[in-house]
Amino acid sequence: MSLGLYISVPFCRSKCTYCNFASGVFSPGVYPEYVELLRQEIRQTLAWTAHQRIALDAVDSVYFGGGTPTVLSPALVRAIGEELQAHFLWEREVEFTVEAAPGTLDPATLDAFQELGMNRVSLGVQSFVERETRFTGRAYGPAQVASDLQLLRSRGIDNISIDLIAGLAHQDEESWRSSLQGVAEAGVPHASVYMLEIDEDSRLGNELIAGGRRYHAHHVPCEELVVQFYEQACAFLACQGLRQYEISNFAQPGRESLHNERYWRRAPYLGFGLEAHSMLLERTAENAREQDGKRASGTFTGEALEWRWGNSSDLEHYIAALRNDEPAHSGIEQITPVQQLEESLFLGLRRNAGVDLGELSREFGALAVAPLAKRVDELRDAELVTLTGAQLQLTSRGRLLSNEVFERLLLS
Amino acid sequence: MDTQYIRNFSIVAHIDHGKSTLADRLLERTGALTAREMQAQVLDAMDLERERGITIKAHAVRLNYEARNGQTYQLNLIDTPGHVDFSYEVSRSLAACEGALLVVDAAQGVEAQTVANAYLAVNQGLTVVPVINKVDLPSAEVDRVREQIEHVIGLDASDAVLASAKTGLGTDEVLEAVVHRIPPPSGDPAAPLQALLFDSWFDPYRGVIILVKVVQGRLSRGQRIRLMANGQRYQVEMLGVRTPKTVEVETLSAGEAGLMICNIKRVADAQIGDTITDDERPADEPLPGFQEIKPMVFAGLYPVETDRHGELRDALEKLRLNDASFFFEPESSAALGFGFRCGFLGLLHMEIVQERLEREFNLDLIVTAPGVRYRVVLHNGDLVEIDNPAKLPSPGEITKVEEPVITATIISNEESLGGILKLCDEKRGVQKGFEFLGPGRVMLTYELPLNEIVLDFYDRLKSASRGYASLDYHLSGYWDSALVKLDILVNNEPVDALSLIVHRDKAYERGRALAAKMKELIPRQMFEVPIQAAIGGKVIARETVKSIGKNVLAKCYGGDITRKRKLLEKQKEGKKRMKRVGKVEIPQEAFLAVLKVNE
Repeated sequence: MSLGLYISVPFCRSKCTYCNFASGVFSPGVYPEYVELLRQEIRQTLAWTAHQRIALDAVDSVYFGGGTPTVLSPALVRAIGEELQAHFLWEREVEFTVEAAPGTLDPATLDAFQELGMNRVSLGVQSFVERETRFTGRAYGPAQVASDLQLLRSRGIDNISIDLIAGLAHQDEESWRSSLQGVAEAGVPHASVYMLEIDEDSRLGNELIAGGRRYHAHHVPCEELVVQFYEQACAFLACQGLRQYEISNFAQPGRESLHNERYWRRAPYLGFGLEAHSMLLERTAENAREQDGKRASGTFTGEALEWRWGNSSDLEHYIAALRNDEPAHSGIEQITPVQQLEESLFLGLRRNAGVDLGELSREFGALAVAPLAKRVDELRDAELVTLTGAQLQLTSRGRLLSNEVFERLLLS
Repeated sequence: MDTQYIRNFSIVAHIDHGKSTLADRLLERTGALTAREMQAQVLDAMDLERERGITIKAHAVRLNYEARNGQTYQLNLIDTPGHVDFSYEVSRSLAACEGALLVVDAAQGVEAQTVANAYLAVNQGLTVVPVINKVDLPSAEVDRVREQIEHVIGLDASDAVLASAKTGLGTDEVLEAVVHRIPPPSGDPAAPLQALLFDSWFDPYRGVIILVKVVQGRLSRGQRIRLMANGQRYQVEMLGVRTPKTVEVETLSAGEAGLMICNIKRVADAQIGDTITDDERPADEPLPGFQEIKPMVFAGLYPVETDRHGELRDALEKLRLNDASFFFEPESSAALGFGFRCGFLGLLHMEIVQERLEREFNLDLIVTAPGVRYRVVLHNGDLVEIDNPAKLPSPGEITKVEEPVITATIISNEESLGGILKLCDEKRGVQKGFEFLGPGRVMLTYELPLNEIVLDFYDRLKSASRGYASLDYHLSGYWDSALVKLDILVNNEPVDALSLIVHRDKAYERGRALAAKMKELIPRQMFEVPIQAAIGGKVIARETVKSIGKNVLAKCYGGDITRKRKLLEKQKEGKKRMKRVGKVEIPQEAFLAVLKVNE
């Protein structure tokens, strides 16, 4: 099973009001030390996997996320690249994505990323309507997006994804249509459509909960309208040849994001940097044998070992920990077999392709999967899922209510 | 001690007039507790009592007081609860006393429970000493309060003690008044033993603990005693007094009150109001006992998780060990499964029991709407008592329904009178008395159906009078009433646990209000949920809980799966506190929606 790498660059020129990540505006003076510590973290993590005798497969996807990775200087990009090149095995074909914000593309930095192998860009457009982008904290219009696309394409990068957010302040039916139209006109092979997350972690979300007018929360469309925007996006993008393959993701066939698919298919990834998350999965020869024995008798085996950890979301804490040569996470969690099965469901069902219950049965044992049957029946009655043979999939309504579906499939 | 140096007294007051604070001052002044040991309201021992600022159980504390005349007196303070739900406890405690301090707030004046408690004391032949408390408040009106005490209660208040329990002003005068104005107990220490059992509770380490007042004769450690009600015999293992620390003593003689342990296993065997006598030299007659306490308010208690029914039963049994006023029996509901029909003294008592069950026994409970016990006369002449609305026979079988009625005393300011009269009228009350207590204050007497009181009467009264009105009541009988069963249908299915018995004239209004409240309380589900109110199959109100529009994580997340899991687990945990009825998840509060209709 190949490996994915995630590099977190939590720096932005300005903080968007909808953003609920740890990223933010920090002095560029901190960038070099951050990159140095990130390199140290890579070595530290690999020392741990070696100690645990976890074999790492060759890398076939790299994702620079943020924040805005393109704020880094070419030298810092190359420094990270060197570290990666030095320690990992590489597949021949690697999907190498860099997140970028409209109007932040710097040719020298793009050169550096391209030297490393960048072949895909995810552009955080969010909206093609200037009145809307203004209230997210950045103001740009369709012209800026068009010039960014042209720049990328002139450099041979045509595997581009555009993000949209449904639920921004001042969005209405007409403006949403023009954003969708913007995606169509951009002619990109991939798009992501998110819905504004209403939680305390973003300034706009917090204002929606606590009240206030600073970020224009009082101009945020109602839930019914956001649902309508989402449904409209699914239909519209399909007509443009961008087929929905996950709750928030749409692509031309063959242009799905390999890296994001790892999260939903429980394929291993290592994340480095602030708030980066990692998951490793190991099937050792011993537990594979054991598993074969138990499988025959139908008992629950839990053959694979799965680890997860997540780095601190506090930059000061991240820096202090690594300076002391301590891990930037607060502990490595071993995922129990039941939890692994649950993950397979609540992650796998996010994909339109769904999950194969027969495969889960083979992987986790028929006994472990058996309690699902009744719940699946209820969910089918409620028209939230379909079961075709052993293939379980969400319906379009099931996607909108997916947390309800997933909650009912939790076994523990 | 010679009985002439003993004084047994209670403090009675309207709630919040400063009874417990005065008790604290007396303890402090007599050195029962050092200032360091003082904890506000020492006698309210249960956490719940302190949190809510109310006294639930009676307490007896012995104080030694050296009076100004140089003589040391033994003062037994028997503290009593202040809430109307627990007025039976007051009358019990008073039976152990020769006198009572009637504490009246100098700013608030005479309130409904001031009147009720003062009458209780006077009727039991006690000497009542008025104490006007909080005289240090700028709003204190001592003369007006004095006049009210004389006018309303008929006590001479010219020599009322003026005090401020908060500052300690007048504490000595209160103690002197106890010594000089309250008579000593009159019992003969040489006569055959007669001791009144006036409270009991269960202690897991020592068995049943009894509070006794020796009326005549002597109670000693090692003595063979007999409980006159059931004839059971025991040996006295321990006698003690609380100061308020428990101190063991060898004897309690006529006039003295204290604790007794005698190896009784069940509280039910130590009946409150029973007389304890000597086994070898018994008294001829028992002391006059108490009226049996009857629960007035009934509700169903169900575990949220149906498999915890056994745990709930165990918890109820344990709770009953200490609370003889509370009653329960098994019942079952189509919607809620197996549970218990419980009887309480009032709404506060119900809340306290529920809170103790949840807190001390870690149970999640569904409580159904509180109701009362109706008498139903059937066409075949049978009389059945119904305390669960779901069990009301069909209208075709019923000749008549009688509902319990209370007599309520309401004291308020004149400005609120209009609102209060309107409220009493709305609650189907019949006015029995109307009296001015002096300038601006009015005392109303009403007969009201108890089922209106248990809903929201008290809260409505408080808001109608901006907090001024006070209320006291006692059960006074039954009257015939045109009552019907109001059913609530959720998702087109009647939910038995939500049924109510209401007066026919109020049924439409209540049905509409209830359906609207349920709509507010039931969270949106994955499908549209109709809520209907119906009488005898006829739908009188309908509301709809809309379906959930979306519940989805549609955002960018860098592989943080743990957080997603936590979110789902939290969502699942939230639903655990809901009861699934059919396909609908109903939260606990919705079963009490009828109490919240006017919020």
